[in-house]
Parts: sequence; structure tokens; C-alpha cells
Amino acid sequence: MTLGYLGAGTLLAGLALGGFSALLSFWAGWKENEVFVRVGRRAFYAATAMTALAAVLLEVGLLTHDFALAYVAAHTDLATPIALVAAGFYGGQEGSLLYWTLILGVLGSASLLASARLGTRLSAYAAGVLATILGFFLLVLTLVAGPFDLLPVAPPDGLGLNPVLRDGGMLIHPPVVLAGFASFAIPFSFAAAALLAGRVDAAWISHTRRFVLLAWSLQTTGLLLGMWWAYHVLGWGGYWGWDPVENVALMPWLATTAYLHSSQVQERRGRLKAWNFGLVILAFLLVIFGTFVVRSGIVPSVHTFAVSAIGPWFLAFLFASLVFSAALLIFRTDQFTSTHSAAIPTVSREGAFVLQNLLLIGVVVVVLWGTVLPLASGMVGLQRVVGAPYYERAAGPLLVALIALLAVGPLLPWRRAGRPVLRALRWPAGAAVLALGVMLAVGVRSIPALIALPLGAAAATTTVTEYGRALLRKPHTWQRLGQLVAGKRRRYGAYLAHLGLAVVVVGIGASHFWQQERDVTLAPGGQATVAGYTLTYEGSSQRRLSDHTELFAAMKLGDRTLEPSRAIYAGLGGQALTHVAITTTPVADVYVVLAGTGADGSASFHVFVNPLVTWIWAGGAIIILGVVLGNAGARAAAPELVRRREPATVPV
Amino acid sequence: MIVRWGIPAAIVAACVGYLIYSASGGSSEYYLTVSELRSHSTSGFVRVAGVVQNDVQKTDGGLHVTFTEKDTTASMPVDYKGTLPDIFRPGITVVAEGKLGADGVFHARTLLAKCPSRFSTTPYTQ
Repeated sequence: MTLGYLGAGTLLAGLALGGFSALLSFWAGWKENEVFVRVGRRAFYAATAMTALAAVLLEVGLLTHDFALAYVAAHTDLATPIALVAAGFYGGQEGSLLYWTLILGVLGSASLLASARLGTRLSAYAAGVLATILGFFLLVLTLVAGPFDLLPVAPPDGLGLNPVLRDGGMLIHPPVVLAGFASFAIPFSFAAAALLAGRVDAAWISHTRRFVLLAWSLQTTGLLLGMWWAYHVLGWGGYWGWDPVENVALMPWLATTAYLHSSQVQERRGRLKAWNFGLVILAFLLVIFGTFVVRSGIVPSVHTFAVSAIGPWFLAFLFASLVFSAALLIFRTDQFTSTHSAAIPTVSREGAFVLQNLLLIGVVVVVLWGTVLPLASGMVGLQRVVGAPYYERAAGPLLVALIALLAVGPLLPWRRAGRPVLRALRWPAGAAVLALGVMLAVGVRSIPALIALPLGAAAATTTVTEYGRALLRKPHTWQRLGQLVAGKRRRYGAYLAHLGLAVVVVGIGASHFWQQERDVTLAPGGQATVAGYTLTYEGSSQRRLSDHTELFAAMKLGDRTLEPSRAIYAGLGGQALTHVAITTTPVADVYVVLAGTGADGSASFHVFVNPLVTWIWAGGAIIILGVVLGNAGARAAAPELVRRREPATVPV
Repeated sequence: MIVRWGIPAAIVAACVGYLIYSASGGSSEYYLTVSELRSHSTSGFVRVAGVVQNDVQKTDGGLHVTFTEKDTTASMPVDYKGTLPDIFRPGITVVAEGKLGADGVFHARTLLAKCPSRFSTTPYTQ
């Protein structure tokens, strides 16, 4: 009881502080009053502290099983393991919004700490925009989705967490995705503040660089963890279903990937200013749009989300953000004219970035159209939906072009490419031809596979040759190589991330083109062979575990035993949950789902053989490693503007 | 720059437009309720949402199932071969994807369960 009042009061105090911070920051920024700008920033820190206190109170409520709180009663029960009770914090609508607000406050505070050097106006407006967003979330938490709402009578036990969520994946996937979503607000706030302050130079870009990388890394990790979790838990043999919930997490990631590259063009060449603002704003709007789509339930999805009253609030917030950003961009049009008038050459590093950006935005458009088609068609007639074939056919060619660019782009110099580029291209081209030859020799005839996988090999070769070139530079000592890579760690970290992406591409390509599946019904002792893997069914039996009973079937693959099972949760009205059994061999995953058992001891299985799925997870780890290594330690020197291509001896 | 990049941008935009057009033409499906299916003649694959009734019959070790899907006004028999969603049982909403056969039976090739947002039929309410 007390906890509920305390928590609600804390949120209300946070809301008041957030609103105060927003109003004061905008006003003080306008008046360039340094003292009040500082007060506005501190009010933001205080609002964050209140949010953190509310989060602690909710966690205390969960861990002490305070079922007077509706949220605690709805998402946990006494039988739930303690780690999952703690994870109930972000397991439901209200808690996940509070978690989002907390991350927004913490990252926002971190981004404001050193913001004073950006100038009074820019830092004040950034605090104002951040405080407005924080205030919006606190308003929703106070008015519509209160995590501290009380029940009239405290029940003796709670309802418990959805069994699908009672999994290790629950402990890591949602907090990473939600943190990723929350972190897109930081670059947006500084971009909006730069526009408000009329500072369209690259200052806001370098200030938020690490936050953008953090947002991108969190989102990359979140997407991959989601794929990994879906693959291990849902039992349909795949990891990506083009469901709206997945699409709305993918779109901001695509926009931010574009921005990570285009922002370099502004840093190095002073170009694409308006475009960079546009991308950061787009990523933020896509996050809010995604939250609206997922939580309002207006688009058919198979995912488990509480459909609730927060939908209209996010729609209103989306419109407000859209109008605000569009007005700012139009208002500052006159400032976007480039300082130097030379055009961006088509064949150059910056040209490759522009093309990559266009393709990525193309993919965003394809995914967005597929996601909103049910809405758009529903307004004019019968609802229509698209499935995986649409996304594969429409986005596939664009993704293939992007992989080709991944192989060529890093080899192109800034400004204008000359003949040396053709020489540099011989390694990736050779690797592509070799891969194509090997695939043809082993009998691959699928055209998409014959295009995509050799390009993946070429992309990997490009990054490897970049490291090779560093290795060949004289003198050949490891120490020298270490200095070179550390000195240009932004660049070599990026190459490592590219290499990871090429590995992911090969994993996705192989598992997409060569997945094999079969339905089999076996009597005990029976055998089935799928894609060369012989499985022997040994029989099924039951066992009791803490919160459920499990019917499992033992299957032998060589000397390994697979135990696909079905769990029955008696406490939840006999709800069943399939547990997939997966074993990984060097070239493929053998993935077995228990579909059902017969009275005679026979059992039906759905067996998948998924080639190279582990490459996806390994490639993801390499990507994150590349981002971390490329940005670890002290801030690397900002890359200098590339203006002229003149010999170093000529004074510039 | 606008002139130099206008052409590539237009080419990419045209490609994206063409890809969306050609891909959605071939693979978009109607998403209907049972009564909408009854009142519109559709060819090809459609997705039909409705509630599973109490006549579920499983054969072939649970890999072949027949049941009736119903919305507020209309109902239809559904025949499905394959792995059932975990939460499949009478009373839940499913989305069956397939074709209405000449025999009046809806032959589903996939069956999706709409996850209820909470896993209890009696949530605590005030």
C-alpha cells in the first residue's frame, strides 16, 4: 500500500521536475542566461533521480511480492524464480515504460554533463528537448499506465509471468531493446537543439557520436538477441518472421546505420548537413511510431503485448514530434547551403556513402509500407497483409546491392577515385569469383544464392585486405601494426564491424537458402534421416519441475541426445509450451520440435536442419567487438576535413 | 550536388517503387474475418481470423487437426496439417492462412495463434 503511494508520488515529483526543466531550459537558452541553464540541467538530473527512485520502489514491490500493486499481481507469482520476478520490472507495459524512462533519464543526463562546451543555447535547448521527452513519458506513467496502481484487495498470489517469457532470453533481450529505443532520443534532442539554436555545423554530431554508437550497438544487440531468442524458443525453425514488432525495431536501426556513414561525410567534407538532421529525426520518429504500432494493436501481429490506452498518447506524441521537426528543418533551410560548391563525385568514398544511404532508406520504405499496408488498405476496403515473400522480393535486391557496396565502398578514396581502386578491387573480385566457382561446382543453382553469397565473400575479403595492407606497411613489426591500428582505431574498428556483418550475411544466406525440414512420426526405436543427419527416437517420459511438468522425448544423434519437450503449466490453466531441442554441428544446427505423442508411445516431430545459423550470432559478436574496440579509451582525434588532394610537401 | 545526385536518387527511388509494386502485387493476402470471407468471393490465399470452437479433433499424433472457426455471425470448418501453436485450444483467436476449398472447408497451410496479452481468463479488475 505505502509503496504504491510512495511510487506514484515519486513519479509525480519527477513529472513536475521534468516540466520545470523543460520550460526553464528553453527560456534560459533563449535569454542566454547561463545560471538558469545550469538550473534547468540540474532539474533534469533531479527528474532522473526521481525516476530511478520509482524504479527501485517498483523492484522492491516485485521482490517482496507486494500483490497490492496491480502490476506485481499481474506479472509475477510466488512460484516464479526470483531472477524472473526481478525481470518482471520490464515484463509488462507499465514497468517497461518506467524502464524506458529511466534509461532516457540516465543517458540524457550523461549527454548533458559535458554539453556546456557546445555553447549556452545549444546545451540549453538540448536539455529542454530531453526534458520534454522525459516529461511525456512521466505523464503517460502518471495518467494512463501507472506501475503503482493499487488493487482494492490484495490477492494472496499473483497471476505469474507468461510462460513464453519464463526463459533466460527474458533477462537480456527486452532490457537491451528498450534501452536501444530509449537512447535514440539523445541524438534527436541534440539535433533539434542545433536546429533551434541555428548551429548546423558538426558540433552536435561529434558531441553525440558515442551516444549514436551506443544506440546503434544496443539496437544491433537487441535485434540479434531477439532473433536468437525467437529461434530457440518459438519452435518454427527460423529467427526472423517480418512481423510488425520485428519491423519496427529494424527500421530505426537501418536509419541509424545510414547516419553512422553519412555523418562522416559532414565531418570530413562539410556536406549532407540537412540529410544528417533528417536521418536522426527519422530514427527517433520511427521509434515512437513503432511503439505506437506495437502497443496500440492496430496492426495484426502475433506478438504478446498488452494492448492498452497508451496508443493514442504515442500517436499524439508522434504527430507533435513530426510537426516540430519538420518546422525546424524548414525554418533552417537557408543555412544548409554547403560552404564549398564542388559536387560530390559519383565514384568516391562519399559517393558510396550517399548511395548506401539511398539504398538503406529504400529498405526502410519497403519495410514501412509492408508494416502499414493493413492500415492503409483497411481504410479503403478489405484489409490486406503481406508476408515474408513480399519483404524478400522487395528488400532482397536492395540488400544485395548494399552487400556489393560493402565490398567496394571501403576501397574508394575520399574525393575522387582513380586507377589504383581497380587494382585494389582485384582481391574482393577474386574472392567473389572463387566463391561463385565453388558454389557452381557443388551444384548450387539458386540465382539469389549465387549472387548474395559471393558478394558476402567479397565484402569479407575487402576488410581482410585492409588489415593486410596495414600489416605490409614497413617496418614489419607487431608493435608498429598495433600503433597503426590503435591510432586509427575508428577506421579499423569499423572494418571489424564490416567483417562481422559479412559473417552475418553468410549465416543468413546459408540458413535461408538451404534450410531443410521434415515432419516425421516415429515409434520408439524408429529412425529418420534429414539432410544426412540420422535421428533415433528412444521413447518419451514425464518429469516434474518447480512450476511445470514436462513431457520429453529422447532422440539420439550420433552420441548426442536431444530432448525436445512440451511443458504444461498447471498453475496457468494447463497452458502448454514447446521446448525446442537444438544441437550445433560445425556446418548446421539440427533443430527438433516435439509436435505430439500418441497413446502407443509413438511421437511426431518437426525436424529442421539449419546451415550456418551460428555464423549469425558469431558475426553479431564481431560487429559489437568492432564498435567497442574502435571507440574504446580516450576520444580519438576527430578526422580532419579532406579539402584538397595535393602532395604533402606543398603547403596548404 | 542536387543535380548530380538527383539522377541516382531518382533511379533508386524508381527501383524501390517498382520493387514494392511488383512484390506486393504477387504476395499480398486479404486479412478477413469469417463473415467477410463469406460475403466476398476471393481467389488465392487469404488469412482469416476467428475464434476456435469446442469441436477440435486431432489425428496423426496431433499433426492433423480439424475445428470450426467462428466470429460473431459466421463460422467455417478448418482443416490444418502441421505443428499447432502452443496456446491452441478452444476459445482462443487464431489466424488461419489458406484457401477456401470447393468442399466448403478452409484448408489452412499456416495457423497462427493470437497471443492474448495476459494469460488468464480472469484478470484482477476493480
